[in-house]
Amino acid sequence: MSWAIEVQNLNVWYGDKHIIKNVSFRVPKNVIFAIMGPSGCGKSTLLRAMNRLLDLNPHARVEGQVKINGINIYGDNVDVTWVRRQFGMVFQIPNPFPHLSIYENVALGPKLNGLVKDKSQLDELVKQALQKAYLWDEVKNDLRKPASMLSGGQQQRLCIARALALKPRIILMDEPTANLDPVASSKIEELLLELKEDYTIIIVTHNPQQAARVSDYVAFLYMGELIEIGETSTVFTRPSNILTEKYVLGRMG
Amino acid sequence: MDSEKIFLLFLIVFVSTSLLIVAGIVTSLIINSYQIFLRDGLSFIFKNVWNPVKEDYGILPALLGTLISSAIAISIAMPLAISLAIFSAEIAPTSIRGFINSVSDLMASLPSVIYGLWGLYVLAPILNQYIMTPLYQYLGFIPLFSTKPIPTNLFTAGVLLAIMITPFSSSIIREAYNAIPHHLKEAAYSLGMTRWEVIRTLLGYIKSAILAGAFLALGRAMGETVAVAMVVGNTFTLPRSLFDMGYTISSLIANQFPNAEAYSYMMPALYGGALVLFMVGLIINLAGLYWIRRVMTRG
Amino acid sequence: MRLNKRKIIDRLMLGIISVLAIASAIPIFAIIVNVYSEGARYVSLNFLIDLPPPPVGGGGGGIGPALVGTLVLVALALAIGGSIGFFTGLYLSEFSHTRLAQYTQMFLQVMVEFPTIIVGLFAYMILVAPLKRFNALAGAIALSIVIIPYIALNVREAYKSIPYTLKEAAFSLGVSAPIAYLRILLSAARRGVLTALLIGLAKAAGETAPLLLTILGTTFTYFGGLDQPINAIPLLIYNFALSPYERWHQVAWGAAAVLLTIILVIFIFSRLIIKEVKV
Repeated sequence: MSWAIEVQNLNVWYGDKHIIKNVSFRVPKNVIFAIMGPSGCGKSTLLRAMNRLLDLNPHARVEGQVKINGINIYGDNVDVTWVRRQFGMVFQIPNPFPHLSIYENVALGPKLNGLVKDKSQLDELVKQALQKAYLWDEVKNDLRKPASMLSGGQQQRLCIARALALKPRIILMDEPTANLDPVASSKIEELLLELKEDYTIIIVTHNPQQAARVSDYVAFLYMGELIEIGETSTVFTRPSNILTEKYVLGRMG
Repeated sequence: MDSEKIFLLFLIVFVSTSLLIVAGIVTSLIINSYQIFLRDGLSFIFKNVWNPVKEDYGILPALLGTLISSAIAISIAMPLAISLAIFSAEIAPTSIRGFINSVSDLMASLPSVIYGLWGLYVLAPILNQYIMTPLYQYLGFIPLFSTKPIPTNLFTAGVLLAIMITPFSSSIIREAYNAIPHHLKEAAYSLGMTRWEVIRTLLGYIKSAILAGAFLALGRAMGETVAVAMVVGNTFTLPRSLFDMGYTISSLIANQFPNAEAYSYMMPALYGGALVLFMVGLIINLAGLYWIRRVMTRG
Repeated sequence: MRLNKRKIIDRLMLGIISVLAIASAIPIFAIIVNVYSEGARYVSLNFLIDLPPPPVGGGGGGIGPALVGTLVLVALALAIGGSIGFFTGLYLSEFSHTRLAQYTQMFLQVMVEFPTIIVGLFAYMILVAPLKRFNALAGAIALSIVIIPYIALNVREAYKSIPYTLKEAAFSLGVSAPIAYLRILLSAARRGVLTALLIGLAKAAGETAPLLLTILGTTFTYFGGLDQPINAIPLLIYNFALSPYERWHQVAWGAAAVLLTIILVIFIFSRLIIKEVKV
């Protein structure tokens, strides 16, 4: 069985604070893998440890291994930009580049990384990404308009298109619907179910119901520790840990 | 991995250049002036003589001139700066506040040579006619006003400096005032205070900002060269009253530098004056930055 | 009764404050009016191009060499000081946790307040004395040094104000640090950076003290080379205003009108840029 990503004995510190405590798990390919837990349990940190975005924080220290295709991304001589290109990332508050147009937002990644040879290839790539993100029909006539003109839900789908344009293996999502209304949220959840056919999706959520709705596998993180992990149906109907049970029943923060 | 390291190195080169420049400036002051300190010691600072032929130099009049003109400047500027800040933040109708602030910022960015030109040909005659001469005629028995005024003197320099440093000082105070938490203002009003009483209370709250504004403005006044050089009279005498012509250290340097190459000790004397000016200015500016830090950590 | 007295004081103080505030704003209007009323009449295309007139007699003449000098010096100063300032500011913003950044920022904040004549003394020592003559390069370097702290601190602000989530988005695309900072994030910060450069531009065009000891202010050649003396508009104003010749005072007013216009244009332009952000 080949895994999309393997996390082994991961520890993260912010200064002296031990945020992620010896976490290990494996994510299969082409599934939706949810990481759930109460606020402040370290979910966002864990996500950022996977694409080494944590490197941007000078106070963060990482120990342990994260492997993609058997390569430890924290090893010596690993090119961090290569690591990041294996992932597409979508953030909690939609963050398209406000000074760029809709088209430019999606095209930026491929252009800078030299993924296409000419303009027509780029146009095609942008169109495909926007189609996959279920945004193409709504914006196809307004590609040159600034991204800031879109609604919250549209902006988030634009960010998904931006992530898809790089043809990553894994999509990381940090509470992608936390700031969206229920209609926009459900549109994105539907989108995720389609995307998993081509990608592995790791989604962080603070809403256990969302995890139950969309994910195939779920991990429950509490105070930086991995409490329980397994198939979603199992974890939600027969949780093996009392903390998990409290969380899925909504009796925890 | 490599490109990150190279980029970091690249940036550090530029940062180091900035630091080297600062260090270089201070060093240049020291190595070009040590001759005069070696020969005369600290008496150089307190002597009142400028005799190139005898190679005898002392910067006391210039030092006093700097202090006096800056003192005049800051005592005029602070009430103006505070008033401007309060007016913009509290009193003026909201629609013109942006305009007032823009005007203030424009004042702060005007080249000093334009201030100097205007000061020399417009301000100086006006001050002479309407303020200095009457003060001399009627209050001339007070030592401060006891010299018959000539338009270009320490007083004019002080007033011109006040005009120049007010906007800068004012913007610091204004920003601090605008940053006062709203609930404090509300609390003051709810106690039944009049508007002026509220303002007075809040000003006490932002004391650090006012001090910061004062120190930084003072530092700027002491360092100003060109505008002062155009209106201060450039005469090497020990000032006895506000209306005496005089020198400031910076205008002394500007004025005497063309002659300096001809004499052995004049160049070190001028660099020495610059060193003194730098040290005094540094202390004042550090004090100002200290108060700014107090403002930041408070808010 | 007591309330009435407090009300009177209230009105009085508010009135005094308003008067003082308006009084402090009067000089700028007076300056603008005076400079244009005294100087605008001399400004013409010829004025901008011609050599200065002789001290007495004859009309005409202009500030040609000084204008060329200002253009040369400002271009150089912006190139040198702008690049040092920009990369320093970028470092200060993105690596602000390092000791180097903290010390540098403190030094730069002090440097902003440096008497600019001292910068002139430094430039004299390193560039004029060795060459044994006043030269344009010394002036350009002196101006660069003066503008570095302004540009660095403003660029730092510009980058600091980019929301962290945009920084994350940029890096998550898997681009290298130079590309992230200089292509993606620079674009996001461009208004602040442009403002920083405009401030530097205005300063370089208007500063006089750094030039007093470095460029000599020759009035009769347009451009003799970087190792030769040169003139500049602020220096011309300074020299001519202090001269005993009425004709040269007139030229000084005219030059002041030109300089004031340049500064006003830069100022208004930078305001418009900032306004766009608010909308």
